[in-house]
Amino acid sequence: MVQSKKQRYLFLSFCLLPTFIVFCIFTVYPMLGGLYYSFFDWSGTSSVKEFIGFDNYKQLLRDSVIPKAILNDYFFVFVKVLGIMILSLFFAVALTQLRIKEAPFYRIVFFFPNIMSVVVIGILWQFIYDPNIGIVNSLLNAIGLEQWAKPWLGDMTWALPSIAIPAIWAGIGLFMLLLMGGITNISKSLYEAAEIDGASEWQQFWKITVPLIWPQIKTSIIYIVITSLNGSFVLVQVMTGGGPGNATEVLGSYLYQRAFEDFKFGYGAAIGVLILVISLLTVIILQFVLKKEKVEY
Amino acid sequence: MIRALSRLAVRIPLLIWSFIVVFPLIWMFIGAFKTNAEIFASPWALPQKFNFHNFIAAWTDYNIGSAFLNSLFVTLLGTLLCLAFSIPTAYALERLRFKGSEILLNTYLASMMIPSVLGWIPLFFLLLKLNLLDNLWALSLIYAVSHIPFTIFILISFMGNVPKELEEAATIDGMSPYGILFKIVTPLVKSGIITASILNAISFWNEYFMALILLQQESKNTLGVAMDLLKTNAQYESAWGVLFAGLCIAVIPVIIFYTIFQRYIVKGMTEGAIK
Repeated sequence: MVQSKKQRYLFLSFCLLPTFIVFCIFTVYPMLGGLYYSFFDWSGTSSVKEFIGFDNYKQLLRDSVIPKAILNDYFFVFVKVLGIMILSLFFAVALTQLRIKEAPFYRIVFFFPNIMSVVVIGILWQFIYDPNIGIVNSLLNAIGLEQWAKPWLGDMTWALPSIAIPAIWAGIGLFMLLLMGGITNISKSLYEAAEIDGASEWQQFWKITVPLIWPQIKTSIIYIVITSLNGSFVLVQVMTGGGPGNATEVLGSYLYQRAFEDFKFGYGAAIGVLILVISLLTVIILQFVLKKEKVEY
Repeated sequence: MIRALSRLAVRIPLLIWSFIVVFPLIWMFIGAFKTNAEIFASPWALPQKFNFHNFIAAWTDYNIGSAFLNSLFVTLLGTLLCLAFSIPTAYALERLRFKGSEILLNTYLASMMIPSVLGWIPLFFLLLKLNLLDNLWALSLIYAVSHIPFTIFILISFMGNVPKELEEAATIDGMSPYGILFKIVTPLVKSGIITASILNAISFWNEYFMALILLQQESKNTLGVAMDLLKTNAQYESAWGVLFAGLCIAVIPVIIFYTIFQRYIVKGMTEGAIK
């Protein structure tokens, strides 16, 4: 028995320890380190790290780019949640409930942008918006709307929405699949019963489909919010680098510039902590807003 | 449902969205065969003739070839390492109840909520200290570790379906726990392993920011970083066709890979792995 207990511990450590060790080194340590570094003034090159307490955070409060970046982050969150959820819900319903023969084709094609690298998407859409060789302007010219043509990504007003469009473009497929999974699991008899009771298609959608896939909808929204707050900067960094001016700056791109371009690593770390606080707060608030009794039929 | 909107009417938005998805890709593909003059003359026109000049230039003169191989390396190694770490841990967390298993699982899952941006700066200096910057082995390890929680999450739901009786029978037959894990459970969760690995491989292939921060020499660049560099050079040299060709080289392998294996992704989602 003692022997077997020892063996069990050995087996458990074999299963758990290596993973736990690398996880601590490459995930836990960097995250705690981010917190720690935010209290220092450090250019990275010098060996001197000066402890400055909350000075980086005080500077954050005075930095005029920060509120702009937070607003832009929330702009992406809002537009992506709205655009991605409406479109993927529509496509998911269309592809599962209407018995369209070529549904597998759409399912595969709509997912293509999800497997593309954000850099590639960013560069491709930079071209699409290019004032000289891009398709947006040449399309506008072709249909006689020359006056609407503009350097989209160089325009203070239009740059931000112009980045949001590829962000939505790249997001649809994944959430469509997720919602399709939910809809496929709904029992057909519910719709048949509703039909007998004389419920319209629209009522069936709101009274049966939406409540029954609410868990998937909720998961999708939270997932979009998290990935948006933590990842929108990649597209921004590739497409505009935060410009023109700071028109498209988000917290992540600002962190990258301050830390890895201006070598203000302590300040960059403080921005990282700010991103963490904002995304956790947002998710907690969302959990409350989206809370809804689980429906069982 | 929604028969009121006839199927025909629903096909219109579906067709429009397919067009919006596919058209930029076709445009990119055609652009890869055009000369600069042709690109400026009309963004719509087909090239005069399809030659592979741009592809060759991108592959050799702009280092996309070596970046392609580097990406292949980190993708394969990262995916394998991630499995090596995640399979035993997922098994232990799902099947061997022990004190703290819940806490450990929740720690892994909770870490998925924390923005990786927060860790960039310490990670950079950690690798600098360990002399592992600019090292593709280290980058693969970091990719693998970053996807351990997600992979555990997927594998656990598949392992839950493996009948306990099989393990009990094997124990009675005198099989060691290691044997049960690798000879019985691992083969039975093959489709979970494939699902997780496809998703992992696609994200490692596409990763950009970690590579940008942690790699320095041009010869070590992965595709994401090399594409960004190619874009900058193409702007100076107006080598637009070459840039389109580079984009194709980065995208076509994943599209083929995905089209072959897409049923696993769909399966993973509909069977409730990502709920």
